[in-house]
Amino acid sequence: MNTSPHDIKPPSIFLRFFRWFCDPALVEDIEGDLTEMFYRDAESKSISAARFKFSLNIMRLFRPGIIKKFGRQPFTQTSPMFRNYFITSIRSLMRSKGFSAINIVGLAVGLATFSMISLYVYHELSFDRYHSKGDRIFRIVENLRTENELLLQSTSSPPMGPRMLKDFPEVENYVRFQKWNLLAQYDDVTDYEPDSYIADSTVFDVFDFKLVKGDKRTALREPYSIVLTQSMATKYFGDEEPLGKMLKMDYDQFKVTGIVADVQENSHFTFSNLISFSTWSKNQKENEQNAWFWNGFHTYVLLRDADAVHNVRSKMKDFIARNIEKGGMYYEDLPLQELSSIYMAPQRSWENGMRGSLNNVYILSIIAVFILLIACFNYINLATARASRRLKEVGLRKSLGALRRMLVAQFLGESIIVAFIAAVLAVMLTWAALPAFRILIESPLNFSVLPNPLVITAVAVALVLLIGVFAGAYPALIISGFQPLQIFKPSTKGVYSHQNFRKVLVATQFVISIMLVAGTLLIYDQLDLVRNQDLGFNKNAVLIVPTNGDTAIVKHLDAVKNELKNVRGVKSVSGSSTVPGQSTTNLYTEIEMMDGKLSPTNINFNFVDHDFLSTYDIELIAGRDFLREAKADDTTAYLINETAVRDFGWTPEQAIGKRVSGRYQGGKIIGVVKDFHYRSLHTRVEPLLLALTTYVGKIAFRIDDADLTGTVNRVQAKWQELIPYLPFNYSFLDVDFDRQYKADQQLGKVAGVFTGLAIFIGCLGLLGLTSFVVERRTKEIGIRKVLGASVVSVVMLITREFIWLIAVALIVATPVTWYLIREWEQNFTLQAPINPVQFAIAGLAVFVFTSATISFLSLKAATSNPTKALRTE
Amino acid sequence: MLTVGILYKEAYGVAIIDEMEKRLQRNVSIGALQTVLRRLEDKGYLSSEFGEATNVRGGKRKRYFSLTSLGSRVLRETQEQRLELYKAIPRVAFPKS
Repeated sequence: MNTSPHDIKPPSIFLRFFRWFCDPALVEDIEGDLTEMFYRDAESKSISAARFKFSLNIMRLFRPGIIKKFGRQPFTQTSPMFRNYFITSIRSLMRSKGFSAINIVGLAVGLATFSMISLYVYHELSFDRYHSKGDRIFRIVENLRTENELLLQSTSSPPMGPRMLKDFPEVENYVRFQKWNLLAQYDDVTDYEPDSYIADSTVFDVFDFKLVKGDKRTALREPYSIVLTQSMATKYFGDEEPLGKMLKMDYDQFKVTGIVADVQENSHFTFSNLISFSTWSKNQKENEQNAWFWNGFHTYVLLRDADAVHNVRSKMKDFIARNIEKGGMYYEDLPLQELSSIYMAPQRSWENGMRGSLNNVYILSIIAVFILLIACFNYINLATARASRRLKEVGLRKSLGALRRMLVAQFLGESIIVAFIAAVLAVMLTWAALPAFRILIESPLNFSVLPNPLVITAVAVALVLLIGVFAGAYPALIISGFQPLQIFKPSTKGVYSHQNFRKVLVATQFVISIMLVAGTLLIYDQLDLVRNQDLGFNKNAVLIVPTNGDTAIVKHLDAVKNELKNVRGVKSVSGSSTVPGQSTTNLYTEIEMMDGKLSPTNINFNFVDHDFLSTYDIELIAGRDFLREAKADDTTAYLINETAVRDFGWTPEQAIGKRVSGRYQGGKIIGVVKDFHYRSLHTRVEPLLLALTTYVGKIAFRIDDADLTGTVNRVQAKWQELIPYLPFNYSFLDVDFDRQYKADQQLGKVAGVFTGLAIFIGCLGLLGLTSFVVERRTKEIGIRKVLGASVVSVVMLITREFIWLIAVALIVATPVTWYLIREWEQNFTLQAPINPVQFAIAGLAVFVFTSATISFLSLKAATSNPTKALRTE
Repeated sequence: MLTVGILYKEAYGVAIIDEMEKRLQRNVSIGALQTVLRRLEDKGYLSSEFGEATNVRGGKRKRYFSLTSLGSRVLRETQEQRLELYKAIPRVAFPKS
């Protein structure tokens, strides 16, 4: 080896590690031994061998006899010292009130948003977890294979529950639900109850719904029994005793047999009343046994233990093969969904309630962490920048014998104090902002979903400590690392030496801000696109009124429609079983294919009247619309949509005349309509058949959009004259339809608000940092001005580096945001192109806020009289 | 401990290791050695003092170990015990070689 010994050094990481863990009494001579052996090995063997052996030796030294005694330092009298730390911390916080305020407010806002979002996330994840048997409850769902497609349905058929109970020993119980929308009436109170369910009497055994009055074994046994929730009971019966009273629902009288506590709002479905299942099954014995493809029910099974689900799953194929005749349409699988997973699971068709979005939960959690990070970075930045202020104190402590770890403890303690003050403020902020936040996310966010207060307090304290340590660690290491000598020497080295680290943090803050701003803008782009997308029908200025298949209207549909059409401002009137944006029914149907054979399928249906296409502005691309003159249309004519035609491999013209038969009625296709989005743009348009009916569930009015309120009032007057007993519960189609994007709109709104907050906190930090820089450079600025620098050049001097950082941040933030938004847009069938201009806007916005913050201070510095600056010595 | 005696005035870390490797054909890590040395020192069998610093040791001083009187007595006693025990082994117990 020719290298001189000076070039060869033992691996420093290991050496430092050794010095750290080794008992100080031993460190010197062992290190000497190590080094000696290292150089000898380096001479005789190779450097790498020597290095290896050196490292190996150190690892082998890491043993009880050698490691120093941690935590037992002989001469620390801790308690008075801690008091002193506390006092100096408070003093230093008080001394620079501005900076402390920035730190504390920033952290408090960050913590407040963090806790609110945590509450929301916790709430979203708490769904259905309150059932004591929850881990054993599973929902049966269907993967239905038809000749043309695989349908993922949330529903199941009536025989499934009972047959599973019989076939699987693992199944302990089952409940079936079917959702009905009923018009309830008692005395003079009349209203629609869209969350009415028929349910098996076992519902109270499986779920934890609490029966307040009535007997849970008999309440839902007899046909025409009804159990009301407390709030529904109050709504109709007021102070009267509801038990035993008769309540009219649609056309039947139901006997109130029980009162159940209101369903907790964090449930994947809620009901206002339960009707005995026998009400339905007494006339449907045959269907209850054999209608394996009547998918109008939600069935929940209770297993004997949670792990049995694997057994049941493995026997499912066999179960299907044994019980269900395999025709052209068959069940590929009957998956079981764990109760607590239903709310967040990917949506299947005909869900029985609103579903959450795991995506939104993720996005919001990320935002929460981001905001907290920005606030922590502020603290780190300001604390390191201002470290020079504490140099003398540190120097004094060091020369009086303070150990480094004592100083670290002191400064960590300081940041923890700041974090605690911020936490107290954050609690107040949260308390004040929670009502607004509830409105923003349109969720009641009960505290009742949270675990007990003790746990929360513990978690909160842990969080505060964590933040204190996270934010304080770096500054504490820096400050405590100063050498006493260097401190007393008048040098600024310590002050500027962490510039780069600070720059990285500030740049990270910029990256986060730009990502949030650009992300929000792009989310809005997407939502705009979805809202303004041509849906294939015109959703604007359409008034929807439910009728629930009222018999009088059904009987005299045309007459009623004519009356209503004559109201001024009404352009056309159409009744249908459902309106776009509502769930549609699907029915087992056989359709004639090209080869002339009938092929079975489960196809979506909507039953409409003659004016459906014209009222909704739906285009016809082949064949003809329903005609009043053609009497046969009433029972035999079908319209089909474009997607179905494409799926079946037809041209629109070929579709005309194809035979259709099924449960409903036999007939022929007479026309093809252009695809219209009868569901949200989250799902693609599925095949659809339209057939004529007089049994209408909703009446739609296309009205003159020049005089909306006037027309609505006139229609209402006419309605009350014609059908006074039916409530005029009107809504607008566009509002109803857009409600399907509620979760997405919430996300947009929430992201917008929190972006604002993030920028606010970031600007606070910048304000602090700039004021510090300005203060430090007062003299420099003064001299520059004396030498003739202009105000602009002085401002630029300070702003320049931030501009540069924003540019870097923009470059980093763009691809990340681009990717994330692309992923998010996959939730829709239609994606807005990502507009690069939005990134420019985001960068510009951040730049404007930043420069406004910075120039406020730098202008002050630049315009002040230089003599003042130079005289302050 | 024996090695410390052999090396007499020159018994410090690296020298002890070298000596043991040379005489006993046995590899000893610094870690193992140092723990043993410190334990012996705690028991009062060895004493130690800092010596001179050399360049090759990166400016660190050597720590020389030497036997204490207690140490040497214990050495002697163990030696005698061993010998006693050895002598007590009956001839026949040794397999013929």
